[in-house]
Amino acid sequence: MRGALVAILSIVLGATSPAAQPASTGVIAPPLSPRNASYTIAARLDPSTHTISASETLVWRNTSKTEATELRFHLYWNAWRNNRSTYMRESGLRGTVRPDADAENTSEADRSRIDVTSIRLTAPFAADLTAAQHFIAPDDDNESDRTVMAVPLPRPIGVGESATIEITWNAHVPRAIDRTGVVGNFYFIAQWFPKIGVLQDAGWNCHQFHASTEFFADYGSYDVSLTVPRGWIVGATGVERDRHDASGNTTVHRYYQDDVHDFAWTTSPDYVERVERFEHPTLPPVTMRLLLQPEHAVQAARHFAATRATLQYYGEWYGAYPYGHLTIVDPAYHSGADGMEYPTLFTAGTRWLAPGGVVTPEDLTVHEAGHQWWYGMVGSNEFEDAWLDEGFNQFSTARAVAAAYAPHYYSRRYFGGFIPYVFGDIVLSREVDDNGWSAYTAVATRDEPSTASYKYFPTSAGGITYAKTALWLNTMERWLGWPLLQRIMSTYFARWRFDHPAPRDFFDTVTAVAGRDLGWFFDQVYRSSNAFDYGIDDLSSVEDGDERRTTVVVRRYGEAIFPIDVRVTFANGEQVTEQWDGRDRWKAYVYTRAAAAESAEADPGRVLLLDVNRTNNSRSLAPRTRQASTKWSTIWLVWLEDCVLSWASLA
Amino acid sequence: MGIVGVTFLDGVRRVNRAPAILVGVWLSTCAVTLPLALAMRAMIVEHLGSSLAADAAANGVNYEWMQEFADQATGVGVTFKPTIIGFAAVLDNLSAFMDNTSRPIVIVCAGSVYIALWIFLAGGIIDRYARDRTLHAHGFFAACGVFFFRFLRLAVVQWLVYAFLFGVMHRWLFDRLYVRMTRDVTVERTAFFARVALYLVFGILVAGCNLVFDYAKVRAVVEDRRSMLGAVNAALHFIQRNYAAAVAVYALDFAAFLAVIAAYAMVAPSAGGAGAMVWAAFTIGQLYVLARLWVKLLFWSSETTLFQHRLAHAGYVARPEPTWPDSPAAEGIS
Repeated sequence: MRGALVAILSIVLGATSPAAQPASTGVIAPPLSPRNASYTIAARLDPSTHTISASETLVWRNTSKTEATELRFHLYWNAWRNNRSTYMRESGLRGTVRPDADAENTSEADRSRIDVTSIRLTAPFAADLTAAQHFIAPDDDNESDRTVMAVPLPRPIGVGESATIEITWNAHVPRAIDRTGVVGNFYFIAQWFPKIGVLQDAGWNCHQFHASTEFFADYGSYDVSLTVPRGWIVGATGVERDRHDASGNTTVHRYYQDDVHDFAWTTSPDYVERVERFEHPTLPPVTMRLLLQPEHAVQAARHFAATRATLQYYGEWYGAYPYGHLTIVDPAYHSGADGMEYPTLFTAGTRWLAPGGVVTPEDLTVHEAGHQWWYGMVGSNEFEDAWLDEGFNQFSTARAVAAAYAPHYYSRRYFGGFIPYVFGDIVLSREVDDNGWSAYTAVATRDEPSTASYKYFPTSAGGITYAKTALWLNTMERWLGWPLLQRIMSTYFARWRFDHPAPRDFFDTVTAVAGRDLGWFFDQVYRSSNAFDYGIDDLSSVEDGDERRTTVVVRRYGEAIFPIDVRVTFANGEQVTEQWDGRDRWKAYVYTRAAAAESAEADPGRVLLLDVNRTNNSRSLAPRTRQASTKWSTIWLVWLEDCVLSWASLA
Repeated sequence: MGIVGVTFLDGVRRVNRAPAILVGVWLSTCAVTLPLALAMRAMIVEHLGSSLAADAAANGVNYEWMQEFADQATGVGVTFKPTIIGFAAVLDNLSAFMDNTSRPIVIVCAGSVYIALWIFLAGGIIDRYARDRTLHAHGFFAACGVFFFRFLRLAVVQWLVYAFLFGVMHRWLFDRLYVRMTRDVTVERTAFFARVALYLVFGILVAGCNLVFDYAKVRAVVEDRRSMLGAVNAALHFIQRNYAAAVAVYALDFAAFLAVIAAYAMVAPSAGGAGAMVWAAFTIGQLYVLARLWVKLLFWSSETTLFQHRLAHAGYVARPEPTWPDSPAAEGIS
């Protein structure tokens, strides 16, 4: 009895105690991935100088069908070494960095760099490669870019052969930029170590760091020891296996994880730590560790609930989360680290004032947790096919948020972005708002998704990568039905988890599971930047003897093609629905009925979510335009009166 | 009751005894804004056409259509966003004022016309409150005409001062000092309080200038001053000698402004449905505008009252009451 009581108490306390430790070890057997790029890293953070000194041993196996005559490494932190890197040049196109910002705004202390001080091969043969290292720019020949390091080998590493590489390096932590860096005593350290590219049959896939795309790497095991100031809390990919104090008032934290393709970590003395468990009848349990900013402590339950919803819905829809633990990081204010995914760890992001009914922090939490599936487990190439993870995940996030948080409302922040106001009148919809319809329509024709993602124009990348993909997946769901789309996506997930699928792998899965070739659809949404725009061009209902002759003209205004329904509603309540293949520029339907027509709608069921202009999709013979325009212009009038009155206070 | 309370209440009484002025400035507000509202209505009509989207827009908020409209709009159309609805409109404008957010040029032009109108009306309004007796239209507009060009000169000084405040000081406070203050702040609450502190600093600077220019107008009218620089100087002297009372009266007036905002926050209508609800919401909105105008008039009337209590006597105005057709304005019209 006493033992049972102790067990119950330990479960209850363990569920909420800050001291509770994850039960899993980071070890996964049998292996889920090829584990052909495994790292053992020892890194020391010096907060007084914002520097990291580190060494790594990389065991890399050539899984391609080609010999490796050189090795290529990502040195991402050199993107912020100066304003001449490809990343910074592209940021200038996006408008986030001014051309003259180099001299004016950024001090040397704010910049980052990563310098490899030695690189040696110890197997299959010994060679000091330090002097051979040099920088290349395979994407744009930018000689100032130092984000890809090439190291020629004295002799090739053969197919299937393994190599052991020892690297030492020093790095300067940037002031927080693009999910990495330091602000105050908050550190978020990502893309921070010399990371080998992916050798494919066609050669190295090792892109420079670009402003609007993310990353790509092989799977492996990570054994990382981090030395940080004593008393600081550490969160990292994997599970903490060991912690011991070291000289210089520091503590060494050792983290381990199998079957992941990246390692990120964070440290700060300010984190509030909470631990809870996810339990599900058919899915494996997951220990959720939450590192919160103190001012967000009251939002712990919201973070856990959103993570739980993700583990449940994504697990049920696509497949189980296998790691047994997941770390949620709530980053410090204006650290820029919010909303980013790493294996078994992600950063959420919330605000001090986060009213109910608005899905902050839930939406971001679900999205980043969801990346454990689309990015973490299905390791597609984010440089080239960002839509395969971001778009799939945007679609999944919208679906999960709709299931878990309906209704949720539009909100806006005032006074420097601090004061939120919730619009109880405006319930956000999954189909339009959460998929990002407005973001898509703004850039609908600017880039073809089949273009390598890093070549998208920086300002259109988001609308194409995230929103367009979510919208066409949701269109597929409404067109084919969720059961079929769910089978497609779960099959794709099962086939390609812990691997590197390309777009054709998804399209092949669709064809196989759906049992039909949907290539024409992907021609429209993937291989083209054409916009969808169907509308009712004309509706008339005139006397024809004792009856009324109704004419409906439906038109394809856009270049893209999709079959749509056309529905005509008559005054007696009768409805006629036609199916139009949508290929011609227009189609006319003529009806002779006793009743006059009331209205006509193109795509009344709202199947085609990519339609860039919905207002022209319907036409009524008794429109309420006058009422609507009067109402909204009077509302706007009060706003305008208040606006000019504010200025007149100075008169 | 002290001088401050007496002055405030006397100010309230003087505004309430001249309802024609309140109605007049409300009509003036409508005259400036209504044409733009009609233009907005025409844009909405054109965009909706005979679409069924109008049904949803008439019955509630058709947010999808609103986004589509705003995305495709130009000019004033780009301001057609959810933030125009109910109390959000007030938050939006106050926030834009404190954050110095730019508005489309058409809105700026409308605002400029509106300010010019107030410059014209200021002389008549303050003269009416100073005399505290009915002047009829000819007397009112005569005073407007007398002081228009004087206040236009004062407006140049005002413009320079406010341009400095919003163009230089605001940028320094919020784009430089605030950024520097919060550079290493990792707690949002701390950053928020830093911003509130800067809002207070900026607000006090604006209010201080406003106070000086208000008393400059009051002294110009009551003492029939022609030199506006002299009026500003006289206003500074008056405020210096009556610092506590002037600030207290201004604070009471500002409290009245906050009370109006708070009251509207409680009753502000949502987008609502169609039919009578539209006009009910519009009526509430116009009552709010009337209340805001009433508070604006209260500032001038209470400041006029305080000045007369301290340096003159109630109802004293140096300039003789104009009689038709002696009014320069009337001559100007003819």
